[in-house]
Amino acid sequence: MALSSLTTRISQSGPWRSFFRHGWPDNPLDRSLTMTSNIFFHLHPVKVSRRSLRWSYSFGLGVISAILFGVLIWTGVLLMFYYVPSVERAYPTMKEIQFSVPLGQFTRNMHRWSAHAMVLMVILHMARVFYTGAYKPPREFNWIVGVVLLLLTLGASFTGYLLPWDQLAYWAITVGTNIAGYAPVAGPPAREILLGGSEVGQNALIRFYTLHIAVLPLLITLLVSLHLWRVRKDGGLAANET
Amino acid sequence: MTTQTPVTDEIFPKHTGKTYALVELMRGEGPMVGKGPDDTVFSFPVVLLWEALLLLGVTLTIFVFSLLKQAPLEEIANPLITTDPAKAPWYFVGLQELLEHMHPTLAGVIIPTLLVLFLMALPYLDHSRANVGVWFSSARGRWIVGLTALYTAIVMPAYIALDNAFSLRELLRGVVQQWVAQGLLPGGILAVLVALPVLVVWRRKADTRELMLTLFTVMFASAVVFTASGFLLRGPGFKLYLPGQMPWWYNPWDGL
Ligand code: HEM
Repeated sequence: MALSSLTTRISQSGPWRSFFRHGWPDNPLDRSLTMTSNIFFHLHPVKVSRRSLRWSYSFGLGVISAILFGVLIWTGVLLMFYYVPSVERAYPTMKEIQFSVPLGQFTRNMHRWSAHAMVLMVILHMARVFYTGAYKPPREFNWIVGVVLLLLTLGASFTGYLLPWDQLAYWAITVGTNIAGYAPVAGPPAREILLGGSEVGQNALIRFYTLHIAVLPLLITLLVSLHLWRVRKDGGLAANET
Repeated sequence: MTTQTPVTDEIFPKHTGKTYALVELMRGEGPMVGKGPDDTVFSFPVVLLWEALLLLGVTLTIFVFSLLKQAPLEEIANPLITTDPAKAPWYFVGLQELLEHMHPTLAGVIIPTLLVLFLMALPYLDHSRANVGVWFSSARGRWIVGLTALYTAIVMPAYIALDNAFSLRELLRGVVQQWVAQGLLPGGILAVLVALPVLVVWRRKADTRELMLTLFTVMFASAVVFTASGFLLRGPGFKLYLPGQMPWWYNPWDGL
């Protein structure tokens, strides 16, 4: 049997066509279907303006933030296999990760540097969106989603900061949560709820851990999906408008 | 498709069995209404290639950086021994710098709340649609941003240095009440410093977008100045050190 007829038979078989619901994307119809029939691709518009693709328009900062978030999930899950969020075990498990887990130190480095980079990139992305005027109608709502994403990103980084349970972590979180405690009336109770007590201890560690590995990443995933979907619904990037 | 059919025939086929059409006339605007023939390309494959490239670039950068620089791990946490200096993570260290100059409620609560409220309110304060998707909106906008950033880069470090040398808190201790010396005065000074460029631009018949460009730039550049000061120039005792005069045993970058 000739190779071409074999590939034709495969690509027209039932199983193949249940996985790939479109033909080879070399024509407008199949290129559209590729984008709309794949869950990851469908967050993109089917067509984009040439201007919005220009590097000097967006600097890719939003995409870079999302990629860093992906790296953080990947390396974070690896770290979770070893880390134990208890006051007695946290620091020793960090040492273990650094000295006896294969590639442990490297994985931790990746996680920490991506975290700092993500905070920085999200801030720069916000500045880019502001200076290109992309917060104006109809994108007001997506700008608000973005502001919430900024706060969640800061929260994710801040809660992760405590987990190594070393002096750096302990005192940075003490200083940081003290700032929150300065609010009149609501401040001290808010700080108490966050820490599960009046000082940084076991209760604070387990609360920060839960926020860091479950609550905040889930919220960020949800809101990033909403954010990208809104970019599409608002007619692609604002560069389309001019 | 072998024969080329005119676009109108594709949209309104002539010979179909269909006896009806779903058509609606709409009032109002959609994102692409009135934009004329669009200069667009199919996302597949160009956008995906673009993203794949970024994915490779970003992961490679982080990868190489992680080979070269180790994440810090200090001694085990000890509530009895305070580190010196004790700093918040870098993105909050600007607030910690502010705390040195004014009442904690003002620095730690009121100012950050105002910043977030400003960001949230921004699209509702400025909703003109002109020049959307253009960096700085216009050549004049670019000038406004440049000059405002320059102004902030001079004024805010000057404020930090002056208040450090002649601390309002110390000078006015016992002279006026605390809420004046640590709340009203520093708050007022900052408000004037922020409002000044906005007023100047406003006097020159600026539109809303230009006012927002000024306001955002003062705030953003101030945040950068305060963060840099808190992160780089604050050493033991959270005292200010000139660049290069930091005690040798304290390197601010170790605390990342
Ligand atoms: C986790 C954080 C965030 C992620 C992953 C993210 C992701 C993205 C991506 C992938 C885009 C497409 C264009 C581009 O790459 O620049 C985008 C656009 C946009 N983002 Fe974000 N973003 C985040 C945070 C923010 C923040 C903090 C703001 C503003 C406060 C914001 C406001 C917007 C707006 C208004 C657009 C549309 C831009 C345009 O039409 O030109 N986003 N975002």
